[in-house]
Amino acid sequence: MKASVGLLPEYIVGISILVTMVAAMIRPHGSTLKSWIALIGTLGGLWATIDLWTKPVHPALFFNQSLTVDNYSLFVNVLVLIAAGSTLLLGWSGEREYDEFPVLVLISALGMMSLGMVANLITLFLGIEVLSLPLYVLASSHRNTLGGEAGLKYLLLGAFSSGILLFGLALLYGAAGTMNFVNFASVAHIHSPLLAAGLMLTLVGLLFKLGIVPFHMWIPDVYEGSPTSVTNFMAFGTKVGAAVILLRLLAYGFYMSGPNWGPVLGYLALLTMIVGNLLALPQNDLKRLFGYSGIGHAGFLLIGVAVHTAVGAKAMLFYLLPYGLAVIGAFAILTMMGNKESITIQDLRGMARQKPWAAALFIVFMFSFAGIPLTGGFVGKLYLLQAALFAHQPGLAIGLVLGTFLGLGAYLRPLQAMFRTSPGESNLKGWNVGWGHVVVLVVALIGTVGLGVYPTPVVHLVGQSANFFWLH
Amino acid sequence: MLLLWIMAIPLIGSFAVLFAGSTVAKGISAVVGAIELIAFIILLAHGPVSLNSRWIPVWGVRFHVGADGLSLFLIGLTAVLTLMAVLASRGSFGRAYFFWILFLEFGMVGLFESLDLVLFYIFWEVILVPIFFLLTGYSGDKGRPAAMKWLIMNLVGSLFMLIGIVAVAVIHAEPFGSLTFEISQLTHVKLNPVVAPWIFASFFVAFAIKAPLWPFHGWMPDAYREAPSPVTALLSGVMSKAGIYGFLRIMLPLFMPEFRHYQLGLLIFAVIGLAYGAFMALRQTDMKMISAYSSLSHMGMMALGIFSLTAAGILGATFLMVAHGLIVGGLFIILGIVEEKSKTREIQILGGLNEDAPRLGAYFLFFALAALGLPGLPGFVGEYLIIQGLVAHNIVFALIAAVILVVAAWYMVRMFQGVMQAQHRANPIGDINALQVGYIAPLALLIVFLGVYPAGITLHAVPSLYHAVHLAALKGGHGL
Repeated sequence: MKASVGLLPEYIVGISILVTMVAAMIRPHGSTLKSWIALIGTLGGLWATIDLWTKPVHPALFFNQSLTVDNYSLFVNVLVLIAAGSTLLLGWSGEREYDEFPVLVLISALGMMSLGMVANLITLFLGIEVLSLPLYVLASSHRNTLGGEAGLKYLLLGAFSSGILLFGLALLYGAAGTMNFVNFASVAHIHSPLLAAGLMLTLVGLLFKLGIVPFHMWIPDVYEGSPTSVTNFMAFGTKVGAAVILLRLLAYGFYMSGPNWGPVLGYLALLTMIVGNLLALPQNDLKRLFGYSGIGHAGFLLIGVAVHTAVGAKAMLFYLLPYGLAVIGAFAILTMMGNKESITIQDLRGMARQKPWAAALFIVFMFSFAGIPLTGGFVGKLYLLQAALFAHQPGLAIGLVLGTFLGLGAYLRPLQAMFRTSPGESNLKGWNVGWGHVVVLVVALIGTVGLGVYPTPVVHLVGQSANFFWLH
Repeated sequence: MLLLWIMAIPLIGSFAVLFAGSTVAKGISAVVGAIELIAFIILLAHGPVSLNSRWIPVWGVRFHVGADGLSLFLIGLTAVLTLMAVLASRGSFGRAYFFWILFLEFGMVGLFESLDLVLFYIFWEVILVPIFFLLTGYSGDKGRPAAMKWLIMNLVGSLFMLIGIVAVAVIHAEPFGSLTFEISQLTHVKLNPVVAPWIFASFFVAFAIKAPLWPFHGWMPDAYREAPSPVTALLSGVMSKAGIYGFLRIMLPLFMPEFRHYQLGLLIFAVIGLAYGAFMALRQTDMKMISAYSSLSHMGMMALGIFSLTAAGILGATFLMVAHGLIVGGLFIILGIVEEKSKTREIQILGGLNEDAPRLGAYFLFFALAALGLPGLPGFVGEYLIIQGLVAHNIVFALIAAVILVVAAWYMVRMFQGVMQAQHRANPIGDINALQVGYIAPLALLIVFLGVYPAGITLHAVPSLYHAVHLAALKGGHGL
């Protein structure tokens, strides 16, 4: 298969980056043409991905075995493009004044898509950087002190973690003499201190991006300071990118040494689930709350990697979808509340009376986060529980349950606030609903409830995607 | 198909209410409740049915629903009490209230129909949601903490039960190769003695919290007191039976050896609950709390019947579930009417209402007598069977249970006297109107019918119970 066929989704997104850039330059400030082009590029990428899925031409390797197109990467493409599309739609009116917004979102999305295909160390690092650099700019695009702080903090810590990651990759190359994941398999079981150190540093770099305790410090501040639509992108897209590359690297390159890194990731997952959800409990700012709960969800995702089984891989890949759909739904509601810098729990007061439908949707998405049945979140947690118990790790199962429970406490506070009457004037003055919000909400609602009621097709797709049969 | 319709009617109805608007919400809900009741009567005439189709094949999760002697009458109880609750609710509560009531009916019917553990668990958690919102939105200031307590306590139990469910399925899958969550398949599972107590506990605590059984009843007083009376009727009449039903449907077939092993402890635990509920009811002055604790005491009674592990005891518990549901549901609806008319629940403030409202007093007396287990009414039948089972197993527990029944008579009569007899202490109230008689009288007739003809239920229940218990007995090594 030619690269032009296999990489068609990436090419489409790449070309639309260029066209969007040109459109942003030639059209007057505030024109929506660039957003339209970016959105069409996203949909085109989605179409090409679905088209490729139906063709029996993959898996295939491109560019000297540095990128691999298989069902796994195609599934990741779908996730990333949903994240990018929702971000474009949610930022449609709010971020109109920033001409670079759609361009940066697409560039970052291209980085995330490439992370799904990565098969060697160089493309791994390139993918991480292409993902991160536009986000540093996007994070500070609220031109105020909070946004500046968020951007700077993200940049400094991100650069620091990139340095660690790069050092780790260099050590891996030095120890193994190869860049390709698959070739690591033949050397990875050799107990080499250099290899172990390299793997450890690489994992630290990747876990930082995923937001695993104790590398999570940046998340709440960056989420709080960034514009809401950008936070949406980080909460969904970045987690997808970091989680899938972590799984690919460990499942392809280091599956022989699973007993070495598995327990480490298991304990980190346990710690992350508990700490993330526990810290979400007292938060008052909703974006911070989602930041901490996102850390907790990253812990859930890490279960799938840590158990190091085929079921675990599938469960992790599955969980990304309901999580992401709940994220875009919840953030759509937040952006509808006006382009405010911070939205607190008190701002939700009276929502159940004044905006009952929005309140009902918010309840559905919160329940999906919390893992209440008939939403996708429950099915995802059920899958992860199966993964933990099939791997004989009851500790991870109990951690998952405790984390879920703590998380529920955090999600209930905004829900109960919605049923309180607001003191004095309404907090929902800046309420605006655009068509973009409606599209995102409809997709998120159908996805969330659909996954909860009839998850079979997606379970099937995930089974084909994360088909790491050499893991037992 | 009939089973699907019984599940779908309240669900469709609930969304119809939501879209139709608040002014007609009560009317639509009443119609939906009536249709559901008719559907149940058709089901009753039709006899036991089941439906088993694929759902998530990769995990072996099946959409397996059925109505047999164990669940059929609980579905009926749900249909009857939901209709009563709708009729007894204030129309001014608005569409969201009636949406949640009907959604609760959907969840309860689904729960009682489920024969697959994942399906069961889904409905088990789904029913938490409507109650949470009914408590949050339609009760007094203390309703919000009560709702939190309700949700958190129940979720702790059910989340650990989820681990238990998956663990049983995984343990079953390892020698047999394929994952399944069907209760009838999982009865073949052999649990090793290290994990068995933990899995047993994960199920047991979840069911005991939902029922609630002492000492897991922490959520109960606040929730029963703060909820609007029709919701309390549903909580105590239908929801609490879900926990007992879980013991019968899931735990007996799966965990018979563990039940035998822990039987003495479980019986002590249940009998403490029975006595605790009764004596707490004696101390209360709030009439809703008296009924709440009497309900707790009766839950202990049902648990005693099941833990006796005798055919009579289990049959008695099955019968008492339905009987107690109807009786306590009716009682809470009556109490709600009294509260609405007199604006108080304190028996020290109330008194002498009999003179103003003789019809209300008569129905009050009827439900109070039924709740204390008057012979001729169905509560007595259930309690008799349970005590028979206890005598067969261990006469000490039978004696304690019989003594507590006397206390039950004491607190119920005390409540009746406090509210209806003696001197007038509060403002006079009006009697119940024809509409209220219109739905309370059929409920009372139904209770009388079950009291004089308990075979209506037991004839259906025995074959199903025999099947469940027979399977269990095979595992436990000796029959009942």
